[in-house]
Amino acid sequence: MTAKEPIIKVTNLQKKFGDFTAVDHISFEVKEGEVFGILGPNGAGKTTTLEIIETLQKATDGEVIVDGVNVAEHPWEVKSRIGVQLQQASFYPELSLVELLNMFAAMYDIRINPMEMLKKVQLEDKAKAFANKLSGGQRQRFSIATTLVNNPRVIFLDEPTTGLDPQARINLWEMVREINKTGTTIVLTTHYMEEAEQLCDRLAIMDHGKIVKIGTPQKMIDELLASGFKKEIKPQPATLEDVFLHLTGRSLRDE
Amino acid sequence: MSKNYKKPGQYRAYLWLTYSSLRAQTRNPATFFFGFIFPIVFISIFGVIGGGTSKVTVGIPNDADQNNPVVQTLQKQSAYITVQKDSEVNLEKNLKQGKVAGIVRVVPSAHGGYTVNLLTSSANAVQTAQVQGVMQGLIDKENLVLSGVTTPPITMTQKEIAGRQVRYIDFALPGQIGFSILSTAIFGTVFGLIFLKKALVLKRMFATPTKALTILLSQGTSRLIVALAQTILILIVGVVVFKFYLPHGLQTFIELIILSTFGLVAFLGFGYLIAGLSNDENAASPLTNLITLPQFLLSGTFFPTDNLPKWLQPIANNLPLSYFNMAVRKITTEGGAFHETYPYLLGLFIWSAVMYILASRTFKWQ
Repeated sequence: MTAKEPIIKVTNLQKKFGDFTAVDHISFEVKEGEVFGILGPNGAGKTTTLEIIETLQKATDGEVIVDGVNVAEHPWEVKSRIGVQLQQASFYPELSLVELLNMFAAMYDIRINPMEMLKKVQLEDKAKAFANKLSGGQRQRFSIATTLVNNPRVIFLDEPTTGLDPQARINLWEMVREINKTGTTIVLTTHYMEEAEQLCDRLAIMDHGKIVKIGTPQKMIDELLASGFKKEIKPQPATLEDVFLHLTGRSLRDE
Repeated sequence: MSKNYKKPGQYRAYLWLTYSSLRAQTRNPATFFFGFIFPIVFISIFGVIGGGTSKVTVGIPNDADQNNPVVQTLQKQSAYITVQKDSEVNLEKNLKQGKVAGIVRVVPSAHGGYTVNLLTSSANAVQTAQVQGVMQGLIDKENLVLSGVTTPPITMTQKEIAGRQVRYIDFALPGQIGFSILSTAIFGTVFGLIFLKKALVLKRMFATPTKALTILLSQGTSRLIVALAQTILILIVGVVVFKFYLPHGLQTFIELIILSTFGLVAFLGFGYLIAGLSNDENAASPLTNLITLPQFLLSGTFFPTDNLPKWLQPIANNLPLSYFNMAVRKITTEGGAFHETYPYLLGLFIWSAVMYILASRTFKWQ
């Protein structure tokens, strides 16, 4: 991470729905090549912020620059440079994964090798399956495969692990790290603290439409401790999740 | 920063989205059944019930006099009269059920002639009129012969122009084409698009450089392909199995394909309008029924609009499906030229223009 131009630059962004302010004048930057997390409770404005950057919603005020391109001025150019995974989005139920990937490639006006994409998300053996026959984890992985079709500079994952079992979650984190290693910047939202801590290089914590804190997870913890915060700690060398994973194994449970 | 970025190409997206939508439709068993099996079952029924003749059945009781000129002449008219001989009780029963149009009993009259007693039933006015006409004509002719008139002062010559007997299938098959196209255009589009909306398939597509118009066009194109396949299937089964008559053969066939294309594009306007207004199936269902049901019933789809009450006819004759049905019947049943359908196509065009404008003003993407 050198001191390059940030890949995403959000300045004074505001989004209002009538009288309700969903996003309240926020500013932040995402550096090229990092995993950036937006953390916050439900209704904090995470998805709205993401969708404005993704060109899916229009900002009421403020400016968003993605990869040097102004989102409001050149949405079509931005769309071709990013990959988007939506919360709960599904696909044509009667099409196979290969057909769907070819369809997405055509929507970017490019050609791809669908099997190669499926391999990246460990779904080669599901090539001929229909999307609605996939398990939750498989569907999320496939959803991520569709974001990679156009070889994007940055991908956006909106709560990618919500509703997944611990194995599928760990597997998805692994996949996100793999994708990040190839140089793709990743912006994700989550409300799982562990996910934010494990996966994100930097975090923005959002609440009531505002960014209340921004920084690396470790720095945030250090700052909190430095302020004199003390958590009542019972020494607990293992958690219930450790028990669960110890008993059921870490390997993926997709069929 | 005024960079000029290259506009995203839409052509491949259009083709792939059309293919995808088509694939999704053909793999859906419900679409396949209602789109292709249903119409065939329907026209098969029309083909069977359309086979009846217009012969009139006259009953002569067994105990009545058979040796008079009226009965003898009656029995020679087998081209349009069927004579049924039975006991009077059975004949009367048949008369009440409409199986016999009239019972004829000829009795000698006081002055050496005959009186023809015709018994009819109020149950069937059409048959009654038919048998009245037939018997009156027969009696008039017989009177002339018996009074020795060989050169009657008034004669009538009748010339028959080339025409063919119109069977029910000739009427119903064009209606079935209209029915199928309207169903595909409206039900298919409405529930197809609402699913894509609700499942956020559309939203995911909007995150790609593919334009909304491309998505709508590809949806329409895939419906068009299905509708044309339906028209072709209905015509093939109609022509091959039920001898549906195409006045100018292949030319009529091609004209029907062209009309089907116009019809589908026009009806799609309704589909887009409803799909754009509704957020879910619950909102769309009543709207869809409100628009399709009256048309199925009033547009002369399966029975002629002439039978409808006078006040309803101006409405019935100006519905979009009516225009389509009239255009199709103009070139099939009536054997007219294609340019004779232009007034109906204009009507269809006006309807669709209104629908497309309303749809474009009201369309909600999510």
